[in-house]
Amino acid sequence: MEIDGSPARHYVERNGIGYLSELVAIPPRWRAETALVRYATLAGISDAEITQRVGFVIELLGLEEHRDKKVKALSKGNLQRLGLAQALLRDDKILVLDEPTHGLDPLWTQRFRDIVDNLRRPDRTILIASHNLDELQRLADRVAIIDRGRLQRLVSTGYEQTAPAQTRFRIAIASGHDLFRSAFPHAEETGRDEYDVTVHSLQELNALLGDLIGKGVIIASVVPERSVLEQQFREAVGES
Amino acid sequence: MNKGRLARYSLWQFRDFAIDRGIAIVIIGFLWGYVTFEPMRRAMGPAWTGDQRSPIWGIAIQFTSAIVSLSVLIAMNGITSLDRKNGYYRFLFAQPVNPVLYYAQLFLVYMVGVLLSMLILASLLHIILPAFSIVYFLMYVALIYIAMGGIGFFLSTATRYDWLSLAAVWLGSRILRGIFGPKHDWKSKLVELLPPVHRVDDVANSLIGSGTANTNDVLWLLGYGLLFFVLGLVILRRGSLAD
Repeated sequence: MEIDGSPARHYVERNGIGYLSELVAIPPRWRAETALVRYATLAGISDAEITQRVGFVIELLGLEEHRDKKVKALSKGNLQRLGLAQALLRDDKILVLDEPTHGLDPLWTQRFRDIVDNLRRPDRTILIASHNLDELQRLADRVAIIDRGRLQRLVSTGYEQTAPAQTRFRIAIASGHDLFRSAFPHAEETGRDEYDVTVHSLQELNALLGDLIGKGVIIASVVPERSVLEQQFREAVGES
Repeated sequence: MNKGRLARYSLWQFRDFAIDRGIAIVIIGFLWGYVTFEPMRRAMGPAWTGDQRSPIWGIAIQFTSAIVSLSVLIAMNGITSLDRKNGYYRFLFAQPVNPVLYYAQLFLVYMVGVLLSMLILASLLHIILPAFSIVYFLMYVALIYIAMGGIGFFLSTATRYDWLSLAAVWLGSRILRGIFGPKHDWKSKLVELLPPVHRVDDVANSLIGSGTANTNDVLWLLGYGLLFFVLGLVILRRGSLAD
């Protein structure tokens, strides 16, 4: 494997990468802040900048109240955030994040997505390994589907290319149920004001919904039965 | 740049040595020395002279030699394998750091740590045995650290059970060399490949006692240790950092 024309190991030795492993392994007796100072020292951040940089990632990952705690005293979620803080110490061009939201609570999962969004830059590559397709759909531009150790498919998460595959949607209605049922006579009511509908194309769906909105129907949400990525994944691994 | 950041990190490595190993070495050495020498000192009373003609001298050489071997064993325990076993290498070497230089520096930092630990113990021993030369003793410590530590470093990069295998290799070589010794059969020739531990006693006696030693013995010990240290570095360079 090569990065930027060099064997991966040589590249990392020369340039370093931002890396978060699935299992965050930091010596348990190190304190959270000390661990970051150590990694920052190894990363070549100058003594003058270390305090500022470590302070920045601690604040970014919400670790202020845990900075003096030993690693062994951190919860799984906090340890995961410490691992992520470590990965963000340097302004690396390559970030490899392995199951980055593993162990994070919903609030921090959302914050993590915001952090990754802010890390986007034209000259930066962020590689996320995850089994969470919804997360990848939200974060990634392209998704490589690997099954049994082999690359099966490279999928763009943009809707233009993959949308025709979507035929079943769950639509939630806030008001105008009668009008909705007349527009979608085959809709299956699932309860809680939601219906499963089948259409032939997005154009058809949009036309029908546009007509309903024009008549005053309030639509709360439209969600594909399977996300674009999930559908691609199932096809790639032969489970469609 | 790599060397600069590694040099700065050496202070953390030394701190780790002091907390994880240095304190233990000093405490064990002190207690072991206390229970070895204090009863004899009390029993001998004014006959305790502390010079090299004293019967205590031979015991002191054996004791200090054993403490040195034990401290090298403690220092080498997990020197590289611990990071592999526990997965600590992942974040360490995601930084722009050459693992070969990192562990070579760690070996040297631990050598300084062992020397300082031995300096403390030797200073205490010097109080009750004035003929005991701290400088000569530290020369011996450095020699054994390289000879035994080099093999320990190699074993730590090559196996998971490094302290156990180092103890087995060191003691096993001593036993096998004792059994098959300097004969002219194939077993004796095979045993010649083992670490030259049979030269340690002579070197300890002469180096700690007079500051001199047989050059051939010293070169054998140094060469053997350095060879295995370099082999350990080669494994780090060529092999996987993961277990």
